[in-house]
Amino acid sequence: MASQNQDPAAAATLKGSETGGSAARSSVSKRLQQELMTLMMSGDKGISAFPESDNLFKWIGTIDGAQGTVYEGLRYRLSLEFPAGYPYQAPRVKFLTSCFHPNVDMQGFICLDILKDKWSALYDVRCILLSLQSLLGEPNNESPLNTTAAELWDNQEAFKAHLHSTFQN
Amino acid sequence: MDEIRMEEDSADISGSAQKQGVADAWETVTAALMSPGCPVPEQGLWDSLALLSGEGLGRLLGGWLLETLQMRLSSAVVPEFWAELKQPENELEERGRAWVLLTAFKTLLGRLEPFLGGLERLESWQDEGRGSLCGPGPGGLQERAFTIIRALLLFSPSSVLQERVLEFYSRTFSVYMHQEGQAEDGVEAPEGPEGGVCPGCGVPSQQCWCKEALEQLKELSHILSKLQLLEWVSCEAVTSILHKLIEQRMEQHCRGEYERSFLLEFQTWLELVLGWLSKVFASEAEKDGLVPAPGAPVLLPIYVNMRIEELFSIIRDFPESKAAIEDLKFCLERTNQRQQLLTSLKSAFESRLLHPGVHTSDILTVYISAIKALRELDPSMVILQVACQPIRKYLRTREDTVRQIVAGLTGDAEGCTDLASELSRGDLVTLEMQDSDEEGADPEDWTPDPTDAVPDKMGSKRRSSDIISLLVSIYGSKDIFIDEYRAVLADRLLQQLNYNTAREIRNVELLKLRFGDSHMHYCEVMLKDMADSRRINSNIREEESRLSEEEQPPLALSSIILSSEFWPTLKEEKLELPPVVCQAMEAYTHRYEKLKAMRTLSWKPHLGSVTLDLELEDRTLTNLSVTPIHAAIILHFQDKSSWTLEELSVKLGAPKELLHRKLALWQQHGVLREEAGGRYYVVETGSSKEKMDRGVMLIDSDEERDSNTTTQSEQREEKLQLFWAYIQAMLTNLDSMTLDRIHSMLRMFVATGPVVTEMDVSELEIFLQRKVREHQLIMSAGVYRLPKAN
Repeated sequence: MASQNQDPAAAATLKGSETGGSAARSSVSKRLQQELMTLMMSGDKGISAFPESDNLFKWIGTIDGAQGTVYEGLRYRLSLEFPAGYPYQAPRVKFLTSCFHPNVDMQGFICLDILKDKWSALYDVRCILLSLQSLLGEPNNESPLNTTAAELWDNQEAFKAHLHSTFQN
Repeated sequence: MDEIRMEEDSADISGSAQKQGVADAWETVTAALMSPGCPVPEQGLWDSLALLSGEGLGRLLGGWLLETLQMRLSSAVVPEFWAELKQPENELEERGRAWVLLTAFKTLLGRLEPFLGGLERLESWQDEGRGSLCGPGPGGLQERAFTIIRALLLFSPSSVLQERVLEFYSRTFSVYMHQEGQAEDGVEAPEGPEGGVCPGCGVPSQQCWCKEALEQLKELSHILSKLQLLEWVSCEAVTSILHKLIEQRMEQHCRGEYERSFLLEFQTWLELVLGWLSKVFASEAEKDGLVPAPGAPVLLPIYVNMRIEELFSIIRDFPESKAAIEDLKFCLERTNQRQQLLTSLKSAFESRLLHPGVHTSDILTVYISAIKALRELDPSMVILQVACQPIRKYLRTREDTVRQIVAGLTGDAEGCTDLASELSRGDLVTLEMQDSDEEGADPEDWTPDPTDAVPDKMGSKRRSSDIISLLVSIYGSKDIFIDEYRAVLADRLLQQLNYNTAREIRNVELLKLRFGDSHMHYCEVMLKDMADSRRINSNIREEESRLSEEEQPPLALSSIILSSEFWPTLKEEKLELPPVVCQAMEAYTHRYEKLKAMRTLSWKPHLGSVTLDLELEDRTLTNLSVTPIHAAIILHFQDKSSWTLEELSVKLGAPKELLHRKLALWQQHGVLREEAGGRYYVVETGSSKEKMDRGVMLIDSDEERDSNTTTQSEQREEKLQLFWAYIQAMLTNLDSMTLDRIHSMLRMFVATGPVVTEMDVSELEIFLQRKVREHQLIMSAGVYRLPKAN
């Protein structure tokens, strides 16, 4: 599923995305390390991520609901898995905390264009996290994964009440 | 004579006529034994002896003789000897005391001689086959006799004997040494002949008894060895004299004297001493070579003791003290004092070097000397490694260590000039040494580590003796040095304005040899920037010169163009330059952009230097070289002759405190003066009074040569800040973690940029605990977490 998200421009020069040797892998590591550094230095509030263990290819992310949205005060955990072909292939991102949201299903899978066909090698972790943070407040109700949530969205009061009553950390 | 009768009684076994014969025979024989001179006819004696042997009384003779000896000793001889020795202090002269000592022993010998003679005779009779007279074994009887003498005589020796003996031997020793040593030691005889004191016996020359003393020595030695008392009476005295003398001699000759070797000198001196010893132990030596060879076993440890004590000074004086080090090395191989050396040297370092009163560059100098000296002393480098551990540990705690080392390397430091020359030797820094197992090392040459080696993961092969490697490895990382060097280089390049980089290029090339090309890449770019700047500058100048008169820029501007990526972080300071300067800069930028497409300049207005002339009403100050902020300040006074601090602060965009300090320079020059209300005025006419005041103002000098780059502690703060961001992120996402986990995560994921260097666990713990105290972190049950409120 990742292969369809290759950046067309990158695809031509892509080498070793699946079969790549350790050299490719180490360059991915370098890129991930650099991204981690960028994320640490950026000091953005409300988003954060860090490798889960000594495996640099598997991160845990955290986003706080943005102020002024129904998600304010809620904190969500995510998992980010980077394929060997990163950044030419999009990382696999899903919610670990169950999230009541039009574009997130019960298993935590996310429907977001930049994680699918709109992925570009220019994006990075910080960018994904910011996108997800804004996705919380501005769902795309055209293609809902959670129809209940999509229908309830228009009634913000009810949505918020339901959200907060079902939220479990 | 009681016991004789007793013996006779016990021998009474046969008839009375026979008895009378036996008694006569006993009388004859004992008399012959005790008084050798007595004219008993040979034949009669032999007959009596045969008779006694026939009666089975022969073997009692030996017992009788010993018994008599013992009686005589305890009743008369021993008390007499001690009494004689302790003769009241009527004779205070040393000479007299020596005489008494000798006489006492002479009398003793006189008293005992008959017995010893008897014993000898008895033995000789036995040897002649005249019956078993003195029990089994040759000399058995004599041995017993000597034991009795020793036992009775020295059972409770008075201290007088010991004192006298010691005094006597010391005296004779000095007499002997004086006579024998005159030839070579003549120089050091302190008193001249006219001083009137004989250097040998220490009395006025007229009364010199040197000869006599030597005679006495000979005699006494003879008596003592005859009585087999030599070992018991003299040994202690002789040993202590030798020890004292050797120590004294070393104190006098060698202490503080490291520039020549003393071992040979001692050898010849020792031969002299041996001469004296052979006089003391004269007869005994012939017998069984008992003379202790005091050479190595006595001398070396004493010498080593002294050198160990002085090792710190020796190291400090290296290489002038090379001879001392070589001596020490020679001796250490023969004495077992390595451990002592290590302990002593370590504590010497700690007490004399590693305290706040010593400047870092001095510590480094000593450390470098120590490296040089100790690798001479112990080629296995173990002593170096162990003894210098405290220095390395201590240096790690000094903030300016790296800066000092780098300054040393580049030859800027006053103290350690060694480093620069060391650098020009140009060996590769072998910090991350590869496994160079087979590298030319002949397995035959392998020697095991000394036992005191620290078992470490490095192994003996990695014990480096290269000074620069050792210094660099204090921190375990090249990067921190290279970063520091970069900062120093940046400072130097920015401070000089003539683009002259010859010296820096040389240094960078040398460092490249040391650290490898890749590490020095940034520095190379910096140097290239200088060369490029010079070229661009002259280009722009040329272009300007072609302009018409009215288009000429109002002031001549030269720039140093830095590639921002490659230079260390420069201090940021806000400064708004006067419009005229800004325009010049803009024009310059414009020309630069034309030269280099796609690039632009971002000015650092606070760096650099301005040369200006000041024209005042009655005087002109020319060729003042000041910083941009100074120039900007004074330039504002061109338009308006009085400013307040606030106004200037607004105009220049710089904080008031800074301006206040900078204004001091102009006050010193007598160009500005401060008046009540914080207003500054231009002093157009310099009165003499003003000049007087200037002297006072000098106190407020602001010429602290600020470094343009961030300091080490700032870098450290930056590093901690970065680490904190990582720690926060990992705790946000992974909830709670142990200290070790945090540490390993940091090591794994913090990309090593130029600023970041390692941090050990304890350092991290201290940092985390600080955060706990600041309530930015919670620690419970061994794990850290972020506070919930976050």
